[in-house]
Amino acid sequence: MVSSRVIRNLKKEFRQSGLAKLGLALVVIIVLAAVFAPFIAPHNPNDQQLNQSELPPIGFSQTEERTSSQMVDGEIQTVTEEVEITADPAHVFGTDGLGRDMFSRVVYGARTSLVVGVLGTLLAASIGVPVGLLAGYHRGRVDDALMRIADISLAFPSLVLAVALIGLWGRAAVNVPDPFVVAGLAPEMPSSFVLPITVVIVVGLVNWVWFARVARGEALSLRGQEYVKASRALGAGDNTIILRHVLPNAITPIIVLGTVQVAAIILLESSLSFLGFSGTTLSWGFDIAQGRDYVSSGQWWIASIPGLAIMLSVIGINLLGDWLRDALDPGIEGEGGAA
Amino acid sequence: MSLGRFALKRSLQGIGVVWGVITVVFALRFVTPGSPINAVAPLDASQETRQAIAAELGLDQPLYVQYGRYVFELLQGDMGRSYIRGQEVTTLVFERLPATVELAVAASVVAIVLAIPLGVISATNRNDPVDYGATLLSLGGISTPNFWLGIMLILIFAVEFNIFNTSGRGVDVGDVALSVVNAEPFVGTLLTWLAYITLPAIALGTYFMALITRLTRSGMLDELSQGYVQAARAKGLPRTLIRYKHALRNTLIPVITVLGLQLGTLIGGAVITEAVFSWPGLGTLVIESINQRDWPALQGSLIVIGTSFVLVNILVDVVYAYLDPEVVTD
Repeated sequence: MVSSRVIRNLKKEFRQSGLAKLGLALVVIIVLAAVFAPFIAPHNPNDQQLNQSELPPIGFSQTEERTSSQMVDGEIQTVTEEVEITADPAHVFGTDGLGRDMFSRVVYGARTSLVVGVLGTLLAASIGVPVGLLAGYHRGRVDDALMRIADISLAFPSLVLAVALIGLWGRAAVNVPDPFVVAGLAPEMPSSFVLPITVVIVVGLVNWVWFARVARGEALSLRGQEYVKASRALGAGDNTIILRHVLPNAITPIIVLGTVQVAAIILLESSLSFLGFSGTTLSWGFDIAQGRDYVSSGQWWIASIPGLAIMLSVIGINLLGDWLRDALDPGIEGEGGAA
Repeated sequence: MSLGRFALKRSLQGIGVVWGVITVVFALRFVTPGSPINAVAPLDASQETRQAIAAELGLDQPLYVQYGRYVFELLQGDMGRSYIRGQEVTTLVFERLPATVELAVAASVVAIVLAIPLGVISATNRNDPVDYGATLLSLGGISTPNFWLGIMLILIFAVEFNIFNTSGRGVDVGDVALSVVNAEPFVGTLLTWLAYITLPAIALGTYFMALITRLTRSGMLDELSQGYVQAARAKGLPRTLIRYKHALRNTLIPVITVLGLQLGTLIGGAVITEAVFSWPGLGTLVIESINQRDWPALQGSLIVIGTSFVLVNILVDVVYAYLDPEVVTD
């Protein structure tokens, strides 16, 4: 399936495109952060150090007004003084309102984003691709029914539907033990990863239709090809033809769509966490929601830093998607399916 | 097939989809754990009280009766009464809808006005610094979560410079128009309107600005390499005329279709932008209704959102068919 021509194109395009290199670099950094979070994070991301709260990132300082009561000439007076809060080298990105280390939270947030993005995409593809291939290959009633379901499904914005389903069904989460911590390699860190399972299921259910549309389009154009007809003439069954001939030839646009979808689902997950419709509190979107309350009082970094992390990951994945699209098939557009 | 028949056919299909939307929204209640009575009845309600409430709300009827009644009432514009607010849902939804439409339109205007020139300039100066700048900008735009952008805009323009309002709606666009008629200070009203809508419109519009820039750029590049452009150039037609009259026109046709399909993203984006800026629109209503299990209000909002999407897409298809008559012959 992956021919030497494909690999050659990928390499050629990669050499020529600076953006592809940037994309790959960003994605590698995020994947490493997600996988090796217990070793990279300097602090437990959930540890609250209230006496260390609201520390600015390295290189910044913050003046804060503090009021205290003092005895002046035998009377109790409220004294307001300006205090300069300086960064602590132990907290590169500063700390949040509860004194949790922002850098560690950003590192751990990568896990939530990537896991939800990848699992959600796989779920959406595993529903959408078979349905789309069958509909496009058989045409007729199955196809008509699919297209109507797709129309109805598209009429609800992903975010609105996801919010409704999660709000109504509940915010279930599963604790997955962290192998590094269980093995005793990073004893200070959280012993398990909280997987917001409802979010994964819902984003899969909400986004399958993009895969169905692409797979259907491919199947429609491939079913008339000579080699498909030949195979049918030789007595191959429909399912064999779909698996052996249609799917392998439809895989390129599906892979390109899959890449874009991971980015779209990361954005969707962050929106859901921001609105409070998630099962985990260790997520970039959740931290932005927390940081929002500090924006007017001057602690800008609490909301800003997790947002930059989202932006850089999504840029990285989108660039990777552009690279794959340009290298694999210059003819396809990659704009389908957004948050 | 004539354009009229095409429009009719698309409308009939649309009615089918809207019916599907209604059915899905209705079915949502039955795949959700917990009885809707819980939203209305006091926690310590007796079995008799609960039954009385169920009877009053018609929840004791068989499923098909409830469904039939819901659709029948809906056809008369009656979406029931909100469990929590006691208001007619139709009134409630149509009170909130204008704010969302206003925000969505403002965002689209921001997006289109900036994106199309940017895309054209980018394509006609391929591989120039301008092109790289526009490419990076649009890449950033499609990768930035709009709620975060909203908060950053608040941080910069409202907290640091204190220029814009960050919460609520102030006046609506109708007030701005009315101020002329009523001889009120027009400029003042307009400025108030802008103070409230500018930041949410930018936060919501940026993604679309980026998307349209990308589409316009790649579409223009495609068109500019076509034979007819070379022929026009050979005939000595001015470059501006070729670019803007011929190439851009052909580029915009697919852009319109993508925008129709992305309308869902626009409405979804509006929901979260409303949450950031406390904009009193349909999105805030959806979230409140979910949290309060206010079924009639939730169903009403979802149906209106779904139906608007279907209507706009029919409109887009008909415009598309008008611009590109080949579509109709399919």
